[in-house]
Amino acid sequence: MAAQAAATTFNGNLKKALAGLRRINLEGLRWRVFDAKGQVLGRLASQISTVVQGKDKPTYAPNRDDGDMCIVINAKDVCVTGRKLTDKVYYWHTGYIGHLKERTLKDQMAKDPTEVIRKAVLRMLPRNKLRDDRDRKLRIFADSEHPFGDRPLEPYVMPPRNVREMRPRARRALIRAQKKAEEQEQGGSQRKGRKREAKTEIAA
Amino acid sequence: MTRIKRRRRTKISLFASSFRGAHSRLTRTITQQRIRALVSAHRDRDRKKRDFRRLWITRINAVIRGMGVSYSYSRLINNLYKKQLLLNRKILAQIAISNKNCLYMISNEIIK
Repeated sequence: MAAQAAATTFNGNLKKALAGLRRINLEGLRWRVFDAKGQVLGRLASQISTVVQGKDKPTYAPNRDDGDMCIVINAKDVCVTGRKLTDKVYYWHTGYIGHLKERTLKDQMAKDPTEVIRKAVLRMLPRNKLRDDRDRKLRIFADSEHPFGDRPLEPYVMPPRNVREMRPRARRALIRAQKKAEEQEQGGSQRKGRKREAKTEIAA
Repeated sequence: MTRIKRRRRTKISLFASSFRGAHSRLTRTITQQRIRALVSAHRDRDRKKRDFRRLWITRINAVIRGMGVSYSYSRLINNLYKKQLLLNRKILAQIAISNKNCLYMISNEIIK
């Protein structure tokens, strides 16, 4: 009952979430949950792609698809370093001459944040006949609700990583931004400087 | 005469009796496909050794990475050589499939 109630809270993308589940045979697979909140995009996508390929199992075989089902939640909270939020551009060509389209990361996150992670993971999988099947095993959700609550889910613990120490210029900018934020809190005016806020979020 | 040709060709077509479509029915294509099949077999006998070693390495890597922080196949092999343990990748992969904990015990012994 609770599962059904939770499942019907996001009726809009329920169809998309359950799409093609019947095509995936072998329900001896585990369901792993990745929390994308605060994770760097590429590093998260790399781990997801190893799990989806089944490369963490001793029974890996390159000719058959044996990866676990991966559920990614909080896709809108995934981070990128540097200026990628404004500078990373997704290009695609429609086939008509001169129609090279582009869209920045910021716009894509506003439009559909799940596509960012999906593109990242898909481009890390090997380009063979199993790629589409592996794509079907990926379920990405922008917020932290998903309709698979009644399954036995296993949270995936990201391996620990040593974050590089901040470069001196970036560190000075961070300190300046923190001081400015303190002054503004005391002043009580509007908060400016989204980029520096993003840097504090990444460094923390 | 025709007898001799037929005898030679039936011998060849016996080899290709399980091939698909025209490759098992038409004599000229049978001879060609037989040659191709034998060439592939010859080349792949050597490839088989390479492919399986690759597969064993991937499997060992998969299991070993689950062991600890930043432990990998390369470090395992380094430790194996340092301790002069002669287990080959085939056996290690079999151990990894059948009994993961045994492999963990071996690698823990080797790390020291």
